[in-house]
Amino acid sequence: MVNFTVEEIRGLMDNPANIRNMSVIAHVDHGKSTLTDSLVQRAGIISAAKAGEARFTDTRPDEQERGVTIKSTAISLYATLKDAEDLKDIPVKTDKNDFLVNLIDSPGHVDFSSEVTAALRVTDGALVVVDTVEGVCVQTETVLRQALGERIKPVVIINKVDRALLELQVTKEDLYQNFSRVIESVNVVIATYFDKALGDVQVYPDKGTICFGSGLHGWAFTIRQFAARYSKKFGVDKNKLMERLWGDNYFNPATKKWTKSSQHEGKELERSFNSFILDPIFRIFGAVMNFKKDEIPKLLEKLEIKLSGDEKDLEGKQLLKVVMRKFLPAADALLEMMILHLPSPITAQKYRMETLYEGPPDDEAAIAIRDCDAKGTLMLYVSKMVPTSDKGRFYAFGRVFSGTVRSGLKVRIQGPNYTPGKKEDLFVKAIQRTILMMGRNIEPIEDVPAGNILGLVGIDQFLLKSGTLTTSETAHNLKVMKFSVSPVVQRSVEVKNANDLPKLVEGLKRLSKSDPCVLTYIAETGEHVVAGAGELHLEICLKDLEEDHAGVPLRISDPVVGYRETVQEESSMTALSKSPNKHNRLYLKAQPLDEDVAKDIEAGRIGPRDDFKARARILADEHGWDVTDARKIWCFGPDTTGANLLVDQTKAVQYLNEIKDSVVSGFQWATKEGPVAEEPMRSIRFNILDVTLHADAIHRGGGQIIPTARRALYAATLLASPGIQEPVYLCEIQVPEQAMGGIYGVLTRRRGHVFEENQRPGTPLFNVKSYLPVNESFGFTADLRSHTAGQAFPQMVFDHWQVLPGGSPLDKTTKPGQVVEETRKRKGIKPDVPGYENYYDKL
Amino acid sequence: MSATKVAPILSTPDTHVFGDPTPFIDVQSLPKLSDEQLHSQYEIHRTINEITVGGWKRIALQFPDEMLVDAPRVFEALSHGLEDARKRRKISHSSSEDGIENHDSGRNLVNYMGKLGIASEDLPEKVYILADTSYGACCVDEIAAEHVDADVVVHYGRACLSPTSRLPVIYVFTSKALDLEATTDTFIQTYPERDKKIVLMADIPYSHHLQQLYGLLQDEGYTNIFAPSIIHDPSSLLPNRTVPNDIKQDADKLHPYSLFHISEPPTSLLLTLSSRFESIYIYPTNSSSAFSLPSTRPPSRNETTNPQPLAPATTTPLLRRRYALLCTLPSVPIIGILIGTLSVRAYLPALQRIRQLIADVGKKSYTVVVGKVNAAKVANFAEVGAWVVVGCWESGLVDMKSGEGGGGRYWRPMVTPFELEVAFRGEAQRVWGGEWKGGFEGVGEEKGMGGGEERDGGVEGEDDGDGGEDGDEDRDSGSEEESAPPEFDLRTGRYISSARPVEMSSNKASNRGTKRGNGHAANALIKRATGDVARIGGEASPGAEFLRSMRTWQGLGSDFEIGYQEDGATVEEGRKGLARGYTVGDDDLRK
Repeated sequence: MVNFTVEEIRGLMDNPANIRNMSVIAHVDHGKSTLTDSLVQRAGIISAAKAGEARFTDTRPDEQERGVTIKSTAISLYATLKDAEDLKDIPVKTDKNDFLVNLIDSPGHVDFSSEVTAALRVTDGALVVVDTVEGVCVQTETVLRQALGERIKPVVIINKVDRALLELQVTKEDLYQNFSRVIESVNVVIATYFDKALGDVQVYPDKGTICFGSGLHGWAFTIRQFAARYSKKFGVDKNKLMERLWGDNYFNPATKKWTKSSQHEGKELERSFNSFILDPIFRIFGAVMNFKKDEIPKLLEKLEIKLSGDEKDLEGKQLLKVVMRKFLPAADALLEMMILHLPSPITAQKYRMETLYEGPPDDEAAIAIRDCDAKGTLMLYVSKMVPTSDKGRFYAFGRVFSGTVRSGLKVRIQGPNYTPGKKEDLFVKAIQRTILMMGRNIEPIEDVPAGNILGLVGIDQFLLKSGTLTTSETAHNLKVMKFSVSPVVQRSVEVKNANDLPKLVEGLKRLSKSDPCVLTYIAETGEHVVAGAGELHLEICLKDLEEDHAGVPLRISDPVVGYRETVQEESSMTALSKSPNKHNRLYLKAQPLDEDVAKDIEAGRIGPRDDFKARARILADEHGWDVTDARKIWCFGPDTTGANLLVDQTKAVQYLNEIKDSVVSGFQWATKEGPVAEEPMRSIRFNILDVTLHADAIHRGGGQIIPTARRALYAATLLASPGIQEPVYLCEIQVPEQAMGGIYGVLTRRRGHVFEENQRPGTPLFNVKSYLPVNESFGFTADLRSHTAGQAFPQMVFDHWQVLPGGSPLDKTTKPGQVVEETRKRKGIKPDVPGYENYYDKL
Repeated sequence: MSATKVAPILSTPDTHVFGDPTPFIDVQSLPKLSDEQLHSQYEIHRTINEITVGGWKRIALQFPDEMLVDAPRVFEALSHGLEDARKRRKISHSSSEDGIENHDSGRNLVNYMGKLGIASEDLPEKVYILADTSYGACCVDEIAAEHVDADVVVHYGRACLSPTSRLPVIYVFTSKALDLEATTDTFIQTYPERDKKIVLMADIPYSHHLQQLYGLLQDEGYTNIFAPSIIHDPSSLLPNRTVPNDIKQDADKLHPYSLFHISEPPTSLLLTLSSRFESIYIYPTNSSSAFSLPSTRPPSRNETTNPQPLAPATTTPLLRRRYALLCTLPSVPIIGILIGTLSVRAYLPALQRIRQLIADVGKKSYTVVVGKVNAAKVANFAEVGAWVVVGCWESGLVDMKSGEGGGGRYWRPMVTPFELEVAFRGEAQRVWGGEWKGGFEGVGEEKGMGGGEERDGGVEGEDDGDGGEDGDEDRDSGSEEESAPPEFDLRTGRYISSARPVEMSSNKASNRGTKRGNGHAANALIKRATGDVARIGGEASPGAEFLRSMRTWQGLGSDFEIGYQEDGATVEEGRKGLARGYTVGDDDLRK
């Protein structure tokens, strides 16, 4: 029985102070979807009995089957606070005790991080789920970092407490220590990515921003809840009690006084958290699991828990579930924490505006976003596409940051490459319908005001993955999302039956829409390539492609890795190339770009659209560039955004401006396919030292300059001791001590190396961090499991590019040389790398 | 970062001014032919015979570049031969003027002309060497021949045999030697079964060996060999070759056949044939073939002593690359049509059809004639995103990867008309199964007669683009303002919004046309909305739009004024005073 209607929800939408947009984020298998169930259950969408097992937000059959979330799923819920008095504790004045919670459950596996990014963009708060036993894992850290980068406020739930009690049989003090360790490590991460605008968002149990519980059993509590309970009982102020119920606070039953020391007259005192909070829980567990039938009713009465007739007949775990759920319903604790501590859109957009909006912070659109103004200009960000039941069509999923969107409204659709005043990536279209996303269902809704999350029908052909919708002609884009993962693993697909090609093409189009991260393209060799973040990601994508999007049998190649071409020294001499008519000459040198600069470019901190003076400042101050050089960056490449730079170092060359476009064209061309293996270049800086041009414009046209620029760039690259870069994963492995040996063996064989090794406090588990080349990572997980008797769990995420060691790629006997030869053969080009003489002209 | 140690010279030395960018062919390395060889290779006698029979007086000789060295000797041999022939004819004429006339039908024309009063017999034949070919060596250069007002062209070397439209042609294939024994051995090694269905083909310079080889192989017991002979029909099932009668009716019957090809075929022939045969084996001859595929390297030298079975030639990688190339087309707004021939018959209607094809998908086309194609020439048109080459069926295929050493690679993809058609077929129908056609025959003809009518429709559409009288009744007024969805670029996996500039702008134009009424276009200022394509003479011009929006250099202003050098030099006080002695500032110091 759904206990709310669409009309009710629509009513709530008009009141942004009563909206909470939040995503659930965590490491894989820490229990996000399960926990989400208890909230969904509270809304009456699934029955209480099923909560914790249904995984309502895992909408795909394979998600249910594998027990892993692949796509993020949104659901809108109606919620009230149990105690209307609590409204006073919300930092912003709120009148009504009716709340709309827009919740997005996100995948935890690192390969699907892009889904998390898309989810975070449209929410203001995050519920970070941490496993009691496993603690903060690599993905917890990654998603937290992402959340903070988007200025998303976190609250934490420490999940799977039942496991600690039932499986590990820990003592109360052990559990407390465990909790505080987990909290500390969460806070360390938060402190690392401190953002002044967001303020201090570290989490503290005594502030109510941490909750403890079990998603599977459907119970959870905050210290605030217990404080409220006891404050009534003892007549003490709730807030004071909250502080006393955590940390080194002890209640001395003898003196009836609170103390800070753990001893009183030689006697050990019990920590207040243990005695007031953990004790009742431990007692219930003890009584129920040890079948102390007589004790149970007494206990229940004391805790004011009433069981129905048939519930009384339950035993063991079943009974435990029912009792705990009645005692400490998870939804109560979670909702309370979310409503009280997560910001409403109106609060959040004030400080999020500057990170959200590309344009100036004082234009019409920016102000509307800042104020979350439902009457202002429409600013809506579409963060991902959700497949509909109608094959090939998608709902555009996004958030209204300002204005109101309604069916039939004509909007400007701005793709990621849109620049104000230009027509590229700009479309005008009327929105067909606006809808509410409810997990696997959708509900039509007439209009949606600022601050809400929604789905849109009828604009999916205009945006590939994401984009901005607006009604203002002057509005800039909302910032394009930056993903923490990159599509570094590629597999090529071909149809088994040539006549199926159109279906494959259509399928690839749909695939690239349905996933925020996947990339599909046709390589120079004519193969259809699908690129994804990791093996699992690709596997899921290709399965979707074969079974759903294309629906035709496919032949799929082994995974391959895309390389990058770079240089390792400055060109040994100035590269000179002459134009075909011999009247124009370009003098160039290549030199390696600092890895930091390349990374900054890839992360978007330094970009072609920046103001050149500001960019020059950054380059000069942070990377030690010469300011004049830094101001004379002609372009970035490949694709005008890549991590290669063309710098003009010429002095007073006549007609230079005239050929700039041609040189830039040649640069884009050359950086897209380098001379060594026709792979894209990366991290190279080219300096134009001098240019000689013919005096007649006709003899220095594009036809003369473009091919010459490319040749000169190639020659400069080949003269600068070229290298091949390969992508490297950061691989974090959790493993018990006895299985460590196996890890090292497997890693060494695969050219990996360990750079950090930590024992997780209080556990026999070790955390091993290592770098592993992506090329060597195929089948790594299986290999690792077989060498550690299934005890090691790796988690791999793309980290950086690294020069392939072992010598020059121009020498066929070296490892890089072989890689180059192999790549060239695969591409059907001559296996030998052409010498620089092919591009270099003598004076 | 260090500056160059030595400042490079800033001017082009005189010695480089007349530098020739075309690849240099070392004349010395070419074998010198004896007179006898020359006569047989260049088929001097046959040529002379045909010329005298045809009665042609002005003869143009067209050589491929590598044979130009022999051109003077061929010229001399021909001139002498023709002169001798004329002398002989004179004698025979004077001896028995009317006697032979009726019997020798070949001289009818000559005599006819003679009777008309043109003393043609007395005129000596004039022979010209065409110094350079305008498009490709395989095609007959009719334009160059017309410059010398030639009656006939003698074409030397391998030819694509494309039908010509204006002049008669004498083809001299300049036959090459072939080791028949070794070929037979290899053949036997390659095909162990004697009843295999095999088509025997040879590159044109080797084709005269075929009959002999055919005989040899029949003696070896092969029963199902077919050796086609040369015809002038590039659109035949086997381009320029006869086809067995039973196959003529049903092209599928060719499928069980295997092809044994002597010498490397040109890429376009290989691609054409690859889908029609079960397998293709290429017997390499170490000729200086201009075409070479990475997949078919010639076997080692000791092959003659120990024949190895050939590996089947595979065209899949090549076809794939072509697929990648043509997939760029749908997302490109401007397509250039490059004329690679002016002589192949029916190129003009084909050009019309290609233009129509491009217009039908809402793109702009520009037609360009540049003569012999090289990278520098086509790269001059920066606004063109892809090229389609209208050429003979052999030269229409421009190898994107070749020419690294000389002119460099092509900047933008170049496709054949057939590939263009496939690319614009729409994704729902686009299949790339291995079928490949060179040339432009049949392109755009699928629509049959409808092509012409549709073109009329297109013109009307343009009319209402600039006139705008008929308003927008035919357009759904609700959706006018709405944009067309972008094109998914298969090559990069992104959306391209500017793939159909003409379509987009014609919509907009008609809207505006109705608003401002007729006739005001010329003298009224119009506000250009952002997002409009530039217009020239009322017509959308994506080319002009490119120059307007993509080029950073706009032409005016100082060459030295570069945006980032706005600091300029510091202002200092200059000299002042009279010419007999300037001072700086208040300084008394004279400078």
